[in-house]
Amino acid sequence: MISVSTTRRARRGMVREWRLHALSVFSLAVAFVCLGASLLVVANLRVVEQRWAHAGRASVYLKDGATQDEVDALRSALARVPGVTGVHYVSSGDARVQFGQTQLESTAALAGLPVEAFPASIELDVTPDLPDADLADMVGKMKQLPAVDDVETYQAWTERLARLVRGGVAASGLLALVVLAAVLAVVGSTMRMALQRRKTEVEVLKLVGATDGFVKKPFVVEGSVQGALGAVGAVGLLAVLFVVVRGRLDGELAALVGVEPTFLPWPVVVGMVALGGMLGAIAALASLRKLVAV
Amino acid sequence: MDAPDRFRPLLRAGARFSREAAQRPILTFEDVFKSYREGAPVLRGMNLVIERGEFVFVTGPSGSGKSTLLRMLYRAEAVDDGRILFLGRDVARLRDDAVPFLRRNIGVVFQDFKLVTSWSVYENVAIVLEVLGLPQRLIRARVGEALERVGLAGRGEDPAGVLSGGEQQRVAIARAIVGEPALLLADEPTGNLDPQLAIDILGLFEEINDSGTTVLFATHDRTLLEVRARRIVVLDEGKAIDVPNGIATDEYDNRLPL
Repeated sequence: MISVSTTRRARRGMVREWRLHALSVFSLAVAFVCLGASLLVVANLRVVEQRWAHAGRASVYLKDGATQDEVDALRSALARVPGVTGVHYVSSGDARVQFGQTQLESTAALAGLPVEAFPASIELDVTPDLPDADLADMVGKMKQLPAVDDVETYQAWTERLARLVRGGVAASGLLALVVLAAVLAVVGSTMRMALQRRKTEVEVLKLVGATDGFVKKPFVVEGSVQGALGAVGAVGLLAVLFVVVRGRLDGELAALVGVEPTFLPWPVVVGMVALGGMLGAIAALASLRKLVAV
Repeated sequence: MDAPDRFRPLLRAGARFSREAAQRPILTFEDVFKSYREGAPVLRGMNLVIERGEFVFVTGPSGSGKSTLLRMLYRAEAVDDGRILFLGRDVARLRDDAVPFLRRNIGVVFQDFKLVTSWSVYENVAIVLEVLGLPQRLIRARVGEALERVGLAGRGEDPAGVLSGGEQQRVAIARAIVGEPALLLADEPTGNLDPQLAIDILGLFEEINDSGTTVLFATHDRTLLEVRARRIVVLDEGKAIDVPNGIATDEYDNRLPL
């Protein structure tokens, strides 16, 4: 339990040694920025993955020689397939126009491309909860049809994103270990220095009958506060960077991947701060194993 | 509830009265040996008995073991051999985790004051009671009383570092007595003070002794020994020589190494 005396002694120690503590918090913030940035990338990749995994779309690309009768027959057949909620025909010309609307900067270059460069397709709206196996089965059957050239369900993209997310999570795990080492080193050094500077205080406490626990508690509180403040500083820094970057890249990212970038979710922010506090307390405790002997 | 390995004096405030325990000496040294270097013992089979409520000067030449004797009492030094019974318990055989509870029964005053100079006077004294876990209201009241006893009433907010030597020693005395210990140890408490201030501080210790606290006052200042006819324990050659009525009386044996 943290008593009034512990809190007061910890606050007094932090105020008196504020330069030392500020330097420590800054070092910890740098370490936490690395972890936070990694988590930010992972969080956004996960959003994109989820968006694409539940896109509820499939494109059936038609062969160049497909007749209008074949297209009509295919449309009416697809409309009756369970799980398909909408069927839209997009001609080669429509495809070029649509592509030109999303890629404005390259309109002039596109004008030179032949219409055949954009194959006609039938765009399907699929229920998002359609099982992957059913979708794969449907794709297999559609590919057998004579008018169909290829079917794109964006599954490959989703799998690639999932691999990226898994890689990001692994990288974050490694960075968390780096942060752990940084917190142990920084808080440990700070506590040993603080202990050295407050040698008389510790000596007096032990002479008047304080237990080791009583002596250590304020240092542990200080370590915990340092860790938590380091994490808060890192989150604040990331938030500023995020706002700056989002202001410049928001539109492009939305057009490219279909979602707007998001900041770290609240549970992740709270988790980072709690992790900082916990690691700081552990590091302080570990560095205080040997107190001044009186 | 007390932890099983706490220091439990056989007679203490608030405990059930025991006539047998009350009649025992507060402090008994039995064949105490202490050596820092092989072949050069500081104390060699020292025997000494201090009764409750006594005021005893401990003196002797430099290196005779005055500070060692006091440091062994609050277990800053280990005892090589023998027994030191304080309130009926052998201090030499206490487990390390029981030492803080022993120290709560002993007040110590040092030559260099050992104050936290960046703390206020109040904070330096209050820490003793904070260690005991007393409520803040009670701490305020008792610290106020202790400061008043040492003549520093109303000085609680002053930073300890800006006080004069005499005032700092008064703060150290207030810290030593605020927990109402059974025994007060003073290790050359006047060593850094001018003669008049030293006598004032000695007077303060005597007032504390008058209220029932046993005082062990280590000094090599002969002037202090001469102004008061108190029991003196002279440490020489690792043994304790008792001068029951002090050197201020005719009974003093001039052959003593003072």
